[in-house]
Amino acid sequence: MTSRETLAQLKAKFGPAILRADLPADNRLLLYVEPFAIKPVCQYIFRDLDARYVISIGADDRPFSGQFLVAHDFAFDRDRILCSVLTHIPADKPKVDSISDVVPAANWAEREIRDMIGIEPVGHPYPKRLVLPDGWPDGSHPLRKDFAWNQVPEGFDEEREFKFDEPPEGCMVVPFGPFHPTLDEPAHFRLYVEGEMVRGCEYRGFMVHRGIEKLAESVLTYNEIPMMAERICGICGCVHNVAYAQAVESAIALRLPPRAEYIRTIMLEIERLQSHLLWVGLACHIVGFDTLFMQSWRIREPIMWIAEKISGNRKTYALCLIGGVRWDITPDIKTELRQLLDKLEAEWKPVVAAVLKDKNIQARTSGVGVADKTACKNTGLVGPVARAAGVDIDCRRDHPYAAYDRVDFDVITADGCDVWSRVVVRATEVFESIKIIRQCLDRMEPGPLQADIKDELPVGRLGLSSVEAPRGESHHFVITGENNRPRRWRVRAPTYQNLQGIPAMIKDQQLADMTISLGSIDPCFSCTDRLETIDLRSKAVKVWTQEELVKMVKARKA
Amino acid sequence: MSVLSKLKETLVCLKAGRVTLPYPAQAQPVPEKFRGRPIFDAAKCIGCAGCANNCPAREILVFDVCQEVRILKYLGRRCAYCGRCADVCPEKAITMSHEFENATNSIGDILQKLDLFMSTCQRCGRCFKEPSPLEQLKLKGYRMDDLGNERWVYRSKAFLNEEQTVDDVKIELG
Ligand code: SF4
Ligand code: SF4
Repeated sequence: MTSRETLAQLKAKFGPAILRADLPADNRLLLYVEPFAIKPVCQYIFRDLDARYVISIGADDRPFSGQFLVAHDFAFDRDRILCSVLTHIPADKPKVDSISDVVPAANWAEREIRDMIGIEPVGHPYPKRLVLPDGWPDGSHPLRKDFAWNQVPEGFDEEREFKFDEPPEGCMVVPFGPFHPTLDEPAHFRLYVEGEMVRGCEYRGFMVHRGIEKLAESVLTYNEIPMMAERICGICGCVHNVAYAQAVESAIALRLPPRAEYIRTIMLEIERLQSHLLWVGLACHIVGFDTLFMQSWRIREPIMWIAEKISGNRKTYALCLIGGVRWDITPDIKTELRQLLDKLEAEWKPVVAAVLKDKNIQARTSGVGVADKTACKNTGLVGPVARAAGVDIDCRRDHPYAAYDRVDFDVITADGCDVWSRVVVRATEVFESIKIIRQCLDRMEPGPLQADIKDELPVGRLGLSSVEAPRGESHHFVITGENNRPRRWRVRAPTYQNLQGIPAMIKDQQLADMTISLGSIDPCFSCTDRLETIDLRSKAVKVWTQEELVKMVKARKA
Repeated sequence: MSVLSKLKETLVCLKAGRVTLPYPAQAQPVPEKFRGRPIFDAAKCIGCAGCANNCPAREILVFDVCQEVRILKYLGRRCAYCGRCADVCPEKAITMSHEFENATNSIGDILQKLDLFMSTCQRCGRCFKEPSPLEQLKLKGYRMDDLGNERWVYRSKAFLNEEQTVDDVKIELG
């Protein structure tokens, strides 16, 4: 179905409840509906038209339209349409019908809207605080426009404690995180455990919430945001950098020069390569197979070096500005990149061949962390987690951006629904990425890197963009605004949805499988360590102090 | 037991050999385009404040002492090494150097301060042509950032109150 046909179908069903529809491009559908119709429309789109839920967005639109705005984004993956269902809510009655009981995947997003904007999702099945810290006063909403970005709300209460739910009958509570040896990021799971079996959990996260969206909406400007967007994640930063730029470009209907599109594609695939190799290594590390962890990271290192050569940094590429890219791929780099891909392919093949036959890893990961097709649909799971459950989605093919419509590649799927299948999918996708970069290098044409922008960007336009990050779809929503910055920018990283799938994945499993189940959706990793040296002959261990290290480096430089 | 795959895995390891680099005893040379700490050249700088206006991390402050003297202060604490300052500088007064070992206990080590002599312009006194409408000057004319507390002064009400940043990170101003 095209977006026009979808619209016609919706109009036939809901008639005047649909106030306005915009089709800014063939693959976008913006639907403005009456507040009372928001739930039935979403239900129809999600269940009858079988669209995938992406995210819900709340915005304080009072300074512009005098009302609040709520949007639910859906993706028609087969029809290649990204759709947003919007409704305006009166300023004096910030309430909207919750869609969470018909679209369970909206659970977190609606609670976030309640916390951040103060729009009450009426009828929400579990309207508990999600994002705001424990001590934050009720009734104070940081993403409202009358709340300054650096404001500390009155009545912030350090002592206030979060009320956790009571565990079910017969269960013990085992806290998992925020500090846990195998958990790389601060999040808190209260696991309800019966013997060795996990029966459920409560999640309390958002401990490193940095207020990035607020900064973008009130302090930064269009071309400064990409540098911050890329710091959303230390592993798939370039994804956010590109997704943000694309969302703005889609809002203002800006065409990129083709060379810039190819370069974006290449950099995204370079990033996917390093991320997949990193994750395969980490997953092995979690299940105690450090040999492959080491080898996978060894093979990965040259990718970091070539990224550094192209962009000036091994991980933060600082690639995009609105309308283009900052770094070119020179003929020298082209040659080098080709050689590197050959070597990578040759080195990765034997690893994959060995691992896919390794009974030990298979035994440790098969049937663990199960999320099937229904779970994917209901919780909106994306990326390798969904593909490992036989859900054939990949934004690179379904919602093509950059130069992905000009390259051939296969979308890898598996049907085990478990951690093992996720290993298979991600290990195999490496070869597809290599294929994509090779085609880009062949087809890239010379030309400018940056589109000309002559005027200030138009105000009040909506832009949606989905980018397939290594760990799943990353979705950005932008409303352009005044003062050279967006009015609203909403980022939905893949982990936002995938994390919501965790309670189901770990339910009725061994407690010991918790770490790899969680690890299998790939939450981020960052670490700082000090130096330890071991004398190979005497086996004597010496831990270097900071002073000694500084001295060593200074002596080297002198 | 899958002996065969274990053997294959052993082979992968044996083939790889030792790959660890002797850092920090020895550092690998960085590539030509490496983006390290930005270095400001006072001799080339015309004080247009283009860098300060387009720095995503707000790491460059500008303070007009009087009509003729402008102070430009690069803090370097939050600098993301993105190189946007070097991009927009019309005089190529900023180079992204190859320095990357910049961790320090004394924040003054990475600070750079430029005292600039400004000649009077016929129009506003402080002009700069932005490369595109997206690189707008946020504060035209005179600028009085807060050099003492080392932070930007915003025109909007989104202005930092005194206590808020001071508690932020305890740093030794050197
Ligand atoms: S490199 Fe980037 S963050 Fe650092 S001073 Fe320049 S513009 Fe600011
Ligand atoms: S952009 Fe260049 S010339 Fe302008 S103030 Fe900065 S360093 Fe000086």
